[in-house]
Amino acid sequence: MSKIKVAILGSGNIGTDLLYKVLRSEYLECSLFIGRNLSSKGMSRAVSLGVPVSDQGIQAIQNRPDCCDIVFDCTSAMSHKIHAAILNDLNITAIDLTPAKLGPFCIPAINLDACKSDKNINMITCGGQASIPLAHVIGQTQKEVDYIEVVSTIASKSAGPATRLNLDEYIETTEKGVKMFSGCKRSKAILNLNPAEPCIDMQTTVYAQVRKPDMEALKKGVDEMVAKIQKYVPSYLLVVPPTYENNRIIMTVRVKGLGDFLPSYAGNLDIINCAAIAVAEEYAKSLLEKRG
Amino acid sequence: MKKVIISDATLRDGSHAISHQLTKAQITKYAQAADKAGLPIVEVGHGNGLGASSLQVGLSLLDDREMLETARASLTRSKLGIHIIPGFATINNDLKFAFDYGVDVVRVASHCTEADITERHISYTREQGREAYGVLMMSHMASREVLLDEGLKMQSYGAEALIIMDSAGAYLPTDVQDRISHLVANLNIPVGFHAHNNLGMGIANSITAVEAGAQIIDGASRGFGAGAGNAQLEVLVAVFEKLGFSTGIDLYKMLDAADIVEKEIMQSTPCVTSVSLVSGLSGVFSGFAKHVSLAAKEYGVDPRDIFFELGRRKVVGGQEDKIVEVALELREKTEARTK
Amino acid sequence: MRSHLTDLIRRDCEEICPSAVTLLQEIKNQKLYITGGTGFVGTWIAELVTCLNDKHGFNTGLVLVARDTDSFRERAPHIASRKDIQLVSADVRRTLEIPDDVSYLLHLAASPDNRQHVSNPIVTMETITGGTGNVLDSASKLASLKKILVASSGQVYGKQGNAKISENMPGTLNSNSITSVYPEAKRYAETLCCAYWSSCKLPVVIARPFSFIGPYQGLDKPWAINNFIRDALMDNPVRIIGNGMPVRSYMYPSDMALWFLRILTSGTAGLAYNVGSPSGISLKDVAEKVMQYFGAAADVIIKNMNDDFSAFVPDDTFCRESLNLSVTVPIDTALRRSLEWYRSLE
Repeated sequence: MSKIKVAILGSGNIGTDLLYKVLRSEYLECSLFIGRNLSSKGMSRAVSLGVPVSDQGIQAIQNRPDCCDIVFDCTSAMSHKIHAAILNDLNITAIDLTPAKLGPFCIPAINLDACKSDKNINMITCGGQASIPLAHVIGQTQKEVDYIEVVSTIASKSAGPATRLNLDEYIETTEKGVKMFSGCKRSKAILNLNPAEPCIDMQTTVYAQVRKPDMEALKKGVDEMVAKIQKYVPSYLLVVPPTYENNRIIMTVRVKGLGDFLPSYAGNLDIINCAAIAVAEEYAKSLLEKRG
Repeated sequence: MKKVIISDATLRDGSHAISHQLTKAQITKYAQAADKAGLPIVEVGHGNGLGASSLQVGLSLLDDREMLETARASLTRSKLGIHIIPGFATINNDLKFAFDYGVDVVRVASHCTEADITERHISYTREQGREAYGVLMMSHMASREVLLDEGLKMQSYGAEALIIMDSAGAYLPTDVQDRISHLVANLNIPVGFHAHNNLGMGIANSITAVEAGAQIIDGASRGFGAGAGNAQLEVLVAVFEKLGFSTGIDLYKMLDAADIVEKEIMQSTPCVTSVSLVSGLSGVFSGFAKHVSLAAKEYGVDPRDIFFELGRRKVVGGQEDKIVEVALELREKTEARTK
Repeated sequence: MRSHLTDLIRRDCEEICPSAVTLLQEIKNQKLYITGGTGFVGTWIAELVTCLNDKHGFNTGLVLVARDTDSFRERAPHIASRKDIQLVSADVRRTLEIPDDVSYLLHLAASPDNRQHVSNPIVTMETITGGTGNVLDSASKLASLKKILVASSGQVYGKQGNAKISENMPGTLNSNSITSVYPEAKRYAETLCCAYWSSCKLPVVIARPFSFIGPYQGLDKPWAINNFIRDALMDNPVRIIGNGMPVRSYMYPSDMALWFLRILTSGTAGLAYNVGSPSGISLKDVAEKVMQYFGAAADVIIKNMNDDFSAFVPDDTFCRESLNLSVTVPIDTALRRSLEWYRSLE
């Protein structure tokens, strides 16, 4: 079967992990792995996997605009702002894993169909990919959702210097995503770093305050949502099912990473990559259909 | 005479003990008394600090603005302090407005191994011309070498003091001596210590810290704080004076302030209960106390079992959601056994 | 940038031009390539060179290399838009394409912000060590290179006594500390220069900058004098944690630019030169002067919470005697001019 060509822009941890996932995909092939430094770890991995590489950055795509239909941008928010305009002119779809927030927010389990026609798709935040689907179910099944709170705890080792410097942006973007997809009036996001060894798996708890909780509907909705997410994030696990206690709804999920390039404790990074692949595959399928 | 700066955590850490339900009248009355007594710094807020009111760690009765405004109006000599944990509070959502309410000292806190999340909050505070302290919480979970490394980071960010918190009340005096003396010898900024009383060591550990070179000591009137409470502030004042350290605080007026806390704010006087002793032994954040007893009741399990299990899992402050998970698991285990 | 601000800088440059014309004859009609060219030092060098071009027909070309040149275009259009200035976006950690007609090279790239050093220590070390390696390697292949200057740091001396620090004093750093990330990387970079000088006969000189105050310095930087000025501008009291006795010295950036260029053209290959003022001043005195010149009503609060009596002041004998360099802007003038600049920025 023919596959759709994708380029990965950014040869850091996220980009390299995505490469492994693309190589496994039935619908995608990596036509170009792009970084800035041919001797970097990610680049040498790509070379050893037989993937074409370039150290020319976005210029590599400008030189050969027909090299791909989709670009995963794993650089930085600042770089993505420049890349987005160029990719738009070249009519290439950008799946944005940076916090640039230019395109519409996408959670595959919620709005995959709506997103696949967009030319720039934003993957929100890692914690958002875990918590927002549950917040969405609360919004769908409960009346008058006053407040939703999402708390993620991740292994310290999975948070690099950029994540640490940008905690505020993580929180504010996740809060925005929770509101947008659940329709709640107020939202709050909290992030904890836990340095325990061996490293903990990412865990996310969602709390809600609603006027009249309908736990039956919520449990059913959450089970369905978890099943949907498990299609693209196999290790997405509900560890505390929706529970009503002390005037609040509480539920907890745990995400273990696939351990492709990123270690398995980095479930927080794995989930955003899994989600990005899900978007790309959906888009690829529709392209393949069109092309017959 | 050597000086010790006492920082008053009553209206902040004490909030844990009453599930963050401080009223305006209570804040006004205590802050006025503390101001009269000459306390250098009076902290106010949710137990976990600015922007922390949440279902995860407890909702405040008053919002941050109301608390700051109320306290500010009552303080003339004392500086107004806040505690803030990046990951809970952001600069845009929370810290910006705190300055509009006249906050003088911002204590930017992280888990003891994660100082680099405080860079922007400390920098922002300094940019506004306010005092910034770095705070390392749950410090018993790190060696003195790690605490120094993290402390040096906070010093580089512009922190004007480093406060070491024994958030679980797990230290013995030798632990305090070991860590504080190492930090004092290797940092350019003053070092402070914040004791919890789970093992009955609140005052002893504070004295040890000062003897090891600490210049700032946190306390709470009547020990007001979660579980076994904090180092009892009025005792600190008396003991330091007796040891020949000056605090600049009027003892009589300090005792008046402590009486206010006992009569008008506390629901019960902190003491080393069985559960809070276990909390200290297991090295779990004392602020979990209320949440653990609620969950223990709700799921019919022994709160001591919850604490020991949390300790085994090395949970940090902010992971209160783990309490429900552990309680549920313990209940399942018991049910399986009885079947 | 508003013309008043550029006028202030031009005034400073013109003032130093007479000695610059004498001392910098060698850069006439030459092309200089500067990594980190849009930073504090690079910008001041560009200001001085363009002034020499405009007023004294130096005809010196500058290639300013930086990762983000766009923000420089916004920040300093009066430099960025000039014909004698070329802006190049590149990362020194990657291979650099240096034009063959470059005769002088200044390697200045590396952030001196100590917050970044401790938050991102691995990248900091990689940038300094790998970047310097890349630049030295490219430089050693240039056909007509006359000299390359590599910026190190006065911090390579580590803790010293109270005497002025001369270039031949060995450093006393504790390599095993997070705060040594920057100075130790700089020490490695210096030794790498020595290796290229010895092995490839690369004509390399090392500059060890100390402390500076003046226009283009960011007041967000976590350094004492920057904080004093920021607090004074906001009418806040200035806080000194210790006893106010530590002694520092501050050079005004027009002097700094001249010193860097003079060391580049006339320094002896294989040697290191201090760049900084030899006039020590206590932090307490700096703070009081800042408050006085800025007309701030607030106090200087000395908290007395440590016993730091350290000094960090360079000995300028070597630069003075071998390169005819001197400090022309004393601390009081430097502070007054800084005041004028920051007030105009507001």
